Amino acid sequence: MSSPILSLKNVTMRFGGVTALSDVTFDVKEKEILGLIGPNGAGKTTIFNVITGVYQITSGVIEFQGKSLKGIKRYKITRGGIARTFQNIRLWGDMTALENVMTATDTHKRSGLVGGLFGSPVSRREERRDKKRAQELLDFIGIGEYADRLAKNLPYGVQRRLEIARALGTEPKLILLDEPAAGFNPAEKVELAKVIRKIRDAGYTVLLIEHDMSLVMKVSDRVVVLDFGQKIADDVPIKVQDDPRVIEAYLGVPEDAS
Amino acid sequence: MINLRDKGAEIWEKANRPQRVIMAICFIAMAASLPFMGGTILNTPIADYESVLVFPVAMFVLMAIGLNIVIGKSGLLDLGYVAFFAIGAYTMGLLGTRTSLNTWEILPIGIAMAMFSGIILGVPALKLRGDYLAIITLGFGEIVRIVALNLGTLGRSEGILGIPTPPPVFGIEFTFDSHRIYYWTLLIIILLAIWMVRRLSVRRAGRAWESIRQDEDAAELMGVPTFKYKVWAFVLGASVGGAAGVFYASKTLFIAPDNFTLQISILILACVVFGGMGNIWGVIAGAVILGYLPDRIRFLSDARLLVFGLVLVIMMNLRPDGLLPRKKREKALPSKEKS
Repeated sequence: MSSPILSLKNVTMRFGGVTALSDVTFDVKEKEILGLIGPNGAGKTTIFNVITGVYQITSGVIEFQGKSLKGIKRYKITRGGIARTFQNIRLWGDMTALENVMTATDTHKRSGLVGGLFGSPVSRREERRDKKRAQELLDFIGIGEYADRLAKNLPYGVQRRLEIARALGTEPKLILLDEPAAGFNPAEKVELAKVIRKIRDAGYTVLLIEHDMSLVMKVSDRVVVLDFGQKIADDVPIKVQDDPRVIEAYLGVPEDAS
Repeated sequence: MINLRDKGAEIWEKANRPQRVIMAICFIAMAASLPFMGGTILNTPIADYESVLVFPVAMFVLMAIGLNIVIGKSGLLDLGYVAFFAIGAYTMGLLGTRTSLNTWEILPIGIAMAMFSGIILGVPALKLRGDYLAIITLGFGEIVRIVALNLGTLGRSEGILGIPTPPPVFGIEFTFDSHRIYYWTLLIIILLAIWMVRRLSVRRAGRAWESIRQDEDAAELMGVPTFKYKVWAFVLGASVGGAAGVFYASKTLFIAPDNFTLQISILILACVVFGGMGNIWGVIAGAVILGYLPDRIRFLSDARLLVFGLVLVIMMNLRPDGLLPRKKREKALPSKEKS
């Protein structure tokens, strides 16, 4: 494995009196699939939110490709190469699948509103290029035939995958997947595992939050385990599975067992 | 109930280019021939029909198209839209009476002034959302009116008198009562506005606005510079309102703060909602109906506003998404996906 693309150093996030993340430190290495697991409320989605700039961390440092993300606007973080999906699907329902992805590909357009209004050559060229690119991404994720359907009318599984395609549309270096398999049946999970590997093989780095242990263990190169906002394990899947602290975190409290 | 919008879109999408051109020409010809329909059922008793076509009908259409960019496309509730109309009108009034500039020269200045005030209002206001934004814009609309009411240069409550009519273009004279000429000129401005909105809707700006309207946080996290596009929506909406204002002042020759009350903002908002937020044809239809109806039923005298209100209530109950709602339909599905 190569150098870290993203590193969290002693990251702490407090909401009033609640400490959601406490002193969390880990690296995401380039072109790996890093699984991020933990019981409910362990702080997994909070990690995504602090990385993408939704929350400003209380203390610590988050560095992406060696640069601190502190105080950078959310859309600029995305432009810089970090894209995410959402745990509860947040597509733009009244737009077609293709338009959803194209809105993301607009991120790197040089032409803006004025160019679009007067139909400048740059704008036309970029429009054509992005339409092609968006269709490619839909095909890549395996939902190409749904391109012209409104996002809100798509089947659940397709919506989940469209979220991934949309995130890829921003041409990220690192993609954060927040429970992409939630609500999937076993066959769909197998399919998704293939897609995630395919994404990595295409040169992206993946940070994956997932509740389904078998999926995480199968697909991840490395797994970080959180519990009550603290990192309790960080290792290859086999070792994590046997870690007594991980077992305790998952089995110690009955309602959190998975 | 049949979906007129989808029917229309279907016919349009099936048509090839020459057919579309013919349809567009027919549509424009129909709109342009409206002033000649004074002898038919369209005539407005009591009010002068041709004058009604200019104001409120065409004026409302233009303003509704502008407001639709802000509310319909980007989902930003603006209750002070009349402010941009007023700024355009007062720019015309002030420059028209104090300098030798004519209407056509003032038009771009008025638009620029409206756009500039759009930035002034937009930059602080657009950091807020929803109800808070609505309140700020409401305040802005009132501020502009009250400034006009108190500023000596703007004539206080007497307003500005003797605003010049536009100079002749290609030998066509604009006199006080040549309503048709004003109507056709407005029609050209409206067509330009339609062109602008349609052009933007299918490109990056349209997608950005649409994504902001539906889920602003998701848009921001997908790399859409949401603030920039919200300000753009405001500024473009303002430019259309400003253009309407300049023309209005040059038509009525006299403006006063009373012409720019909150009621105008609300009426234009009603046009947008009544017609179908986000769909430009719906918005135009809404503005035509709401502009025309009160004058058509003027013979009811005092009862007319009651009837007008009733029509609004009944319509919004029957068609809560408006007369011609925004796109709900999809293109034909590949056959294997039909289940």
